[in-house]
Amino acid sequence: MTHSDTPAVRITDLGKTYPGTKSPALSGVSLDVHRGQIVVLLGLSGSGKSTLLRHINGLETPTTGRVETLGRDVAQQRGRELRALRGHIGFIFQQFEIVGPLTVLENVLTGALSSLRGPRVGIWTYPKELRRKALEHLDRVGILERAYQRADTLSGGQQQRVAIARALMQDPEILLADEPVASLDPESSSQVMALIREIAAERSLTVVCSLHQVDLALGWGDRIVGLRGGEVVLDTPTDGLTKDQVMEIYGRVATTTGELAAIEQELAGVRDALLSEELRKESGQYSDVDTSDVDASGGERR
Amino acid sequence: MTVTAAPPAPRTTSIADRIAAVPRPRPRLSTIVSYATIAVIGVLGFASFLGLDYSLKSIETTGINLARFIGMATPMQWPGWEVTAVVGEGGAKIFTTSWVGLDPILHMVEIILITLALVVTGTAIAAVLSIPVAYGAARNTSPHPLVLALCRGLGVVARAVPEPAIVVFLAFLWFGAGILPAIVAVGLHSVGMISKMFADAIEQTDEGPRTAIRSTGGTRPQQFWSGIFPQVLPAWVAVVLHRADINLRGTVILGYVGVMGIGAELNGALHAGPAGMRRVIPIVIIIILLCVVFEIVSSSLRAKLLNVRPTGKGVGDTVVRNVLRAKDARVAATSAERVEAAIRRPWDRGRVGSAVWVWVTVAIVGASFVYLQPDVTRIVSDWRFDQVHNAELGRSVWPLNFGSRDWDTVLAAVLVTVQVAFAATLMGALLSLVVGPMSARNVAPNSAVRNFFRGLALFIRAIPDLVVAILFIIATGFGPQAAALALGIGGVGLLAKLIGDSMEEVPNGPERALAATGGTRMQVFFASTVPMSMPSTVGHLMYLLEQNIRSATVLGIVGGGGIGFLLLNALNGRNFDQVGAFVVVIIGMVVVVETAGILIRRTLR
Repeated sequence: MTHSDTPAVRITDLGKTYPGTKSPALSGVSLDVHRGQIVVLLGLSGSGKSTLLRHINGLETPTTGRVETLGRDVAQQRGRELRALRGHIGFIFQQFEIVGPLTVLENVLTGALSSLRGPRVGIWTYPKELRRKALEHLDRVGILERAYQRADTLSGGQQQRVAIARALMQDPEILLADEPVASLDPESSSQVMALIREIAAERSLTVVCSLHQVDLALGWGDRIVGLRGGEVVLDTPTDGLTKDQVMEIYGRVATTTGELAAIEQELAGVRDALLSEELRKESGQYSDVDTSDVDASGGERR
Repeated sequence: MTVTAAPPAPRTTSIADRIAAVPRPRPRLSTIVSYATIAVIGVLGFASFLGLDYSLKSIETTGINLARFIGMATPMQWPGWEVTAVVGEGGAKIFTTSWVGLDPILHMVEIILITLALVVTGTAIAAVLSIPVAYGAARNTSPHPLVLALCRGLGVVARAVPEPAIVVFLAFLWFGAGILPAIVAVGLHSVGMISKMFADAIEQTDEGPRTAIRSTGGTRPQQFWSGIFPQVLPAWVAVVLHRADINLRGTVILGYVGVMGIGAELNGALHAGPAGMRRVIPIVIIIILLCVVFEIVSSSLRAKLLNVRPTGKGVGDTVVRNVLRAKDARVAATSAERVEAAIRRPWDRGRVGSAVWVWVTVAIVGASFVYLQPDVTRIVSDWRFDQVHNAELGRSVWPLNFGSRDWDTVLAAVLVTVQVAFAATLMGALLSLVVGPMSARNVAPNSAVRNFFRGLALFIRAIPDLVVAILFIIATGFGPQAAALALGIGGVGLLAKLIGDSMEEVPNGPERALAATGGTRMQVFFASTVPMSMPSTVGHLMYLLEQNIRSATVLGIVGGGGIGFLLLNALNGRNFDQVGAFVVVIIGMVVVVETAGILIRRTLR
């Protein structure tokens, strides 16, 4: 299905309204993603990033408009065709979504299910060639030695690496990532983002990744698409773009009080998360710091 | 950011007026339903007590019957000994107990092995069959609403039809098939409960992993086996073990319709004159011990499965991992070499452990099948359909009828069964209202009290209530009254544990807040613990009622009266048209109670 002249993803005037809700989750979204391009979808929670991503591999059906992935109209695909199409698209979730009680290796192997017939239970029901391939992918993401451990004994960053290895198992042409590092600490975040970038370069993948941090997006993607209230409000290459510029555009489009409140809330949430993280790290020394602070201020007052 | 303050309320009215004007929202539906359920069970339970007539006169007769039973049943004759009676001077009997060798003991061991093998094979069949049924009956996996309705309906019917009815019918269809009908009956009946609890577990799984497999292009079966089944495997094993427990108790009833095993032994002893009666109490004690041992084994297995999540941090694992890592470090220079070294899964402790469990289970199930040697070829041949089809032979299933009984008699029998269930539920609930809270860590005054009541509930649960009911019924000579009493006490084991657990699960912040205001233990209990655990307690109460309806029906077969007694008569006469009619009535009864339970639980959520 590879025709290098057609874009990897072509979205035309896409609209989505969930049954039972009034305001649309997406409206009038048009977007072409070319092969090998790395696109970041930027937006606050509820801006429609996930919904847009889930349309690209057919987890959602459009209310209006059209989504063409790898030259095929996704909404027209059924059954085996749809599964084959999904087989070419890797998807990385915010919550990793790996099967906790299974071993790491079997989780990676599930990425190959679309190329196999029938259900599989246990590592030995997969062909040896696939097992070897899965182990190679685990080695690539750096957790080969964990292959036979239960997946739920791994840390968040490691679990996301398992999910990346599972996506690689599909030999994907497109990689979709929905807030891949939103559940990770800053250190694991940058490692995972770097890993995705490296793998994308090695295999010249098309990547569409949603994020909500402007800093991460700037250094990482080729192109930024900003979403607000289900509409595209920003679409620009990142070359030479500075954070201030993006924030300026972003700030200009986010002018209603509701949006400001949402941004404020998000910032407060991030502050809280950072604070509690620090508290957790320094819980041992926290009381010392506290008293010394009090002493210092007391001294000043005197 | 602009914040517009609400306009200040006009201060012209007095505080009393404004208090009077405060809107009072109607109580929530869940609150009304909770209290209504409790009130209805209370009133109907009390009415059932009156209806069952526990009058003083019957208590007096109970005493006489009990004394007569004990007179007949003693001295006890244990396997291996024989008690002989000689009429001595003045008509008094002189008993001598003599050792007769190992043979009777070996016979009893054989009977126990047959019983256990029947339980294992039947439960194993149910465990396998319940997977497709649960797949269709869980809302998130079911392929179509029609399949959903069909699978749920199958489950309800399988739960409602008593095992003895299935056994007798199949034994008639496959005449001379030995133990096969019993295995199939235990299997089919158990599918009802296992598939329901398994479907609940499937509905509670995390949808994420499944969506992930769906988005890699997996088919529906692949999504289930790779994304959902690993998540519900522990729950499935736990339910199956729990069901094996219940099935062991159920085999005692099966003895009454001629299934080989410990139940038949008990039934035989009861109908073998004075010499037989002397064997009754030892057999009952053996059954109780068997059930207790089985329960201990299965619940410790269950606890192991549900609580222990291998962290891979044990001493054994650490050693193995370090050895492997050292080996890796030596040879694994390139990626290809590292992968080659990892292609064989190391035999670490976790893998050895799970492999041993799997193969021991397979061996036990296999050995049970081999030991019983059921003639499975009968499943595909020799169905005597003509016998149950031809109306002239008097064995036909159709048209359904009540035989010589009219609707009034049948409804009266249904009433007795329902009365037994309600009286037992009320009794169990009242006792559990003390035992349950006292066994909760956050309610009991100290750990000694808590452990005592926990232990009490555990002890009662280990005693098979059906077996106790049989003993009560035989000993007192009273059917429904004795059955209700036995079920009522037995219900404490279940309900007290559930209440205790749900009280411990209540968020304890409010409790601490109330204690900090200076409230007494009692005040905290009634102001916080009770209202917060109310929905789950009502849910458990309905569960007990459902359980008791089924138990009361089955107890009718062993002399507890009610609809089960009518069913037994129809079974003994092989009048399958009547059997069918009574089974339909029983299904109707169970469906009504279960539907009420579902509706009540839905509003409580």
